Amino acid sequence: MAKSDKPLGTSPDHYSVRVGGLTAATEVQQRLLQAQTRRHFLGTCATGLGAMFFATMLGGRASAGSAAASTGGEPRLNFARDPARPLAPLPPQFTPKARRIIYLHMTGGPSQLELFEHKPVLTRFDGRDCPASFLAGKRFAFLTGTPKLLASQYPFHQAGKDGNWISDRLPYLEQHIDDVCWIRSMHTDQFNHAPAQLLILSGNARLGYASVGSWVTYGLGTENQNLPGFIVLLSGGTIPDAGKGLWGAGFLPSVYQGVQCRPRGAPILYLDNPPTVSRALRRRMLDVIDEIDRQTHAEFGNPETVTRIAQYEMAFRMQLAASDAMDIHREPAAVLARYGAKPGESSFANNCLVARRLAERGVRFIQLYHAGWDSHGQAASFALNPGLGFADRCRDVDQPTAALIEDLKRSGMLEDTLLVWGGEFGRTSMRENRGGQLMKWVGRDHNPSAFTVWIAGGGVKAGMSYGETDDMGYEVVRDRVEVRDLHATMLYLLGFDYHKLNYPYQGLEQKLTGVNPARVVAEILA
Amino acid sequence: MTAASVKVPAYRFRLSLAAYLVCVVVTTALLTGVMMLFRPALAYSVRELLGLEPHPRATPGSFYTVRVAPVLEEHCTACHGKNRQKAKLRLDSYPAILRGGRDGPVIEAGNLHDSELFSRITLPASDDRVMPPSSKPPMPADDATIIRLWIAAGASGVLPVSQIKNAPPPVAKVKFVEVDEAAVERARAGQSELVRRLQKRYPGIINYESRMSANLEVDASLLGASFGDADLRQLAPLSDHIVWADFSGTALSDASIEVILTMKNLRALRLNNLHLRNSTILPLSSLKGLRSLTVVGTPIAAESISTLRTEGVRVYDGNNG
Repeated sequence: MAKSDKPLGTSPDHYSVRVGGLTAATEVQQRLLQAQTRRHFLGTCATGLGAMFFATMLGGRASAGSAAASTGGEPRLNFARDPARPLAPLPPQFTPKARRIIYLHMTGGPSQLELFEHKPVLTRFDGRDCPASFLAGKRFAFLTGTPKLLASQYPFHQAGKDGNWISDRLPYLEQHIDDVCWIRSMHTDQFNHAPAQLLILSGNARLGYASVGSWVTYGLGTENQNLPGFIVLLSGGTIPDAGKGLWGAGFLPSVYQGVQCRPRGAPILYLDNPPTVSRALRRRMLDVIDEIDRQTHAEFGNPETVTRIAQYEMAFRMQLAASDAMDIHREPAAVLARYGAKPGESSFANNCLVARRLAERGVRFIQLYHAGWDSHGQAASFALNPGLGFADRCRDVDQPTAALIEDLKRSGMLEDTLLVWGGEFGRTSMRENRGGQLMKWVGRDHNPSAFTVWIAGGGVKAGMSYGETDDMGYEVVRDRVEVRDLHATMLYLLGFDYHKLNYPYQGLEQKLTGVNPARVVAEILA
Repeated sequence: MTAASVKVPAYRFRLSLAAYLVCVVVTTALLTGVMMLFRPALAYSVRELLGLEPHPRATPGSFYTVRVAPVLEEHCTACHGKNRQKAKLRLDSYPAILRGGRDGPVIEAGNLHDSELFSRITLPASDDRVMPPSSKPPMPADDATIIRLWIAAGASGVLPVSQIKNAPPPVAKVKFVEVDEAAVERARAGQSELVRRLQKRYPGIINYESRMSANLEVDASLLGASFGDADLRQLAPLSDHIVWADFSGTALSDASIEVILTMKNLRALRLNNLHLRNSTILPLSSLKGLRSLTVVGTPIAAESISTLRTEGVRVYDGNNG
């Protein structure tokens, strides 16, 4: 693209890659181009061309509330923005319960049977062959033959006012057992990490779909124009199996994708000035670039050029704002201790503290990933045995998660922040027997049929336990919640009907929940 | 008078007309009779029309209205309803259900075995007569149970919902309300110009609560110390509409409390890290709608807080966890 001999902004390549905020007129044009499939064109050949002409003529008058879909679909909400402010806040469809989301993703699939699911019957049958019915029609990543049932490796006890069961691995979170809502009946249809992660974080098991965070930022924008609306923080050593597409914008304009911030050094790569460039010099450079961009815009009228100017300006403001938000040195020692955070480290604890600081600064969607939950038992660091890898992961997240809940609660922010904690799937009730062998360490394979996710905060019933699995914790037997139902519920809490938060692409009104019917889990709404 | 030779006597014309009408009536009656023999549903509606059938009705609190109708609505009426009547069957009203379709009644009150409606929804998924058809989402077991209990209890339109025990609990549903643009525009009319102007002056911090509302939310915390008493006075004309406000970390002083007190519809107020005196907090009791107040890092006497708490306001001062 840089080598193109055409002026910047007119290359079709450039145009299609980044479609930032558009003026109403070009938005209509853009939608028409995307929504106009061959079928539409043939179907409405006679009137279609006229309609395109009129849409262009009338496009500038699109009203603030909603715009009729130009290809004859349902009326849809209008998300058009001033191209110079593509992240400008827009009101939700209806009064929201939550204003922002902090999503703590436990990459790899934490075992619900070692944390939340107390199953005495499974303990009783520990070491016995699993019933044949557990295997019929199932696909596994590693289980072969007839695997043995495996009891929980950690003791359980009851806690909180409703006597919910929890294992001894999460003593800090246990203090907040009555602040969160346990969804014990989550169900996904993907049994491998990358597709399952994509499904729960972008609504589709394939690459190229818009992540939850980018949908939310597209729908609501962000209040703080000096920071991205969607920030991603990683810990645990590895990036998720599905890669950075997990926080991609897919078909949405790329300005809505997540921005990954690093724990050490400059939080955002290439944002700081090089040693020889002062902030004043950077300002003068930007002024010159802006001037050239403005001339380009005057000549070609491409709204992408305006978006580009806006992005440069935002990056300039972010030089100060991002460093300030990420800088946990200034937190009181007592707070650092409560989170178990150590400035300069790369840890889930630091990220939780940063998450709180970002939430306070009006960031709309804060996504944390903590890797290392894939407890197959293939190595000590991935073993469920007492004291090995799984116990370390629990220690990594337990104290900081609880501290985050407590901070949000103390400051009143839990009233309008939605917290989500969970992996991409659960783990089997059977012990892993990779290659048909008894393995040195204890582990479990992936189980898409049942896992636990907890959510807390704005609009959610606190201390509720929803859904139920069978006596072995293997299948959901009551109140199944599909991944798309969880998404529909999250969007509802933010003030959207999941049908209405859509984007025309490839002839379809794309939605986070996909094409299958979804359900807002009304039972867990406060 | 040459036309006289072809003149038809008027009485003859009247006679043939009468004969024709008699023929039409007789034929129609015969045809209807024949059709009614083969079309019980039609017979039913004709009898109903003539007042020969007791008019079936469904009452608002009945098991049918509360539990059965929503199930049919979700799984059946797309093809058996107002827009399409496959097999000439409609399932979108109680009389229509009793009337049945092309092949007669689909419900035999109290008799599950002879109720076509029930047997169709309980066929195995592999049967091509199963309803809803395999291309559509299957009917959940709980929904089929509701139909079963209702038919077994007599398929009544008036039996109260409480009379059928052990019915599966209803699945909670949220209702999405459509945005009525015109109504919203009307509600915003008086203030929209001012809102637009202030949004330009203070970008990002003044927003409508939702697309369906004229209520406003103000988040001045993003502007920090650059937002002071003079700025708040600019917003004062909008006070009535502000339902949520965050002035944390701004330069607001006690002088601004008066303006905040004019925001009669405030539900939540965030006043963290402000330099306020205790005396200025107490009058917040006059904000009757206030449900949530945050004063972390703002020095407030404990009695102020407890007063508000006794009035049902959730007060966050950074100490309660």
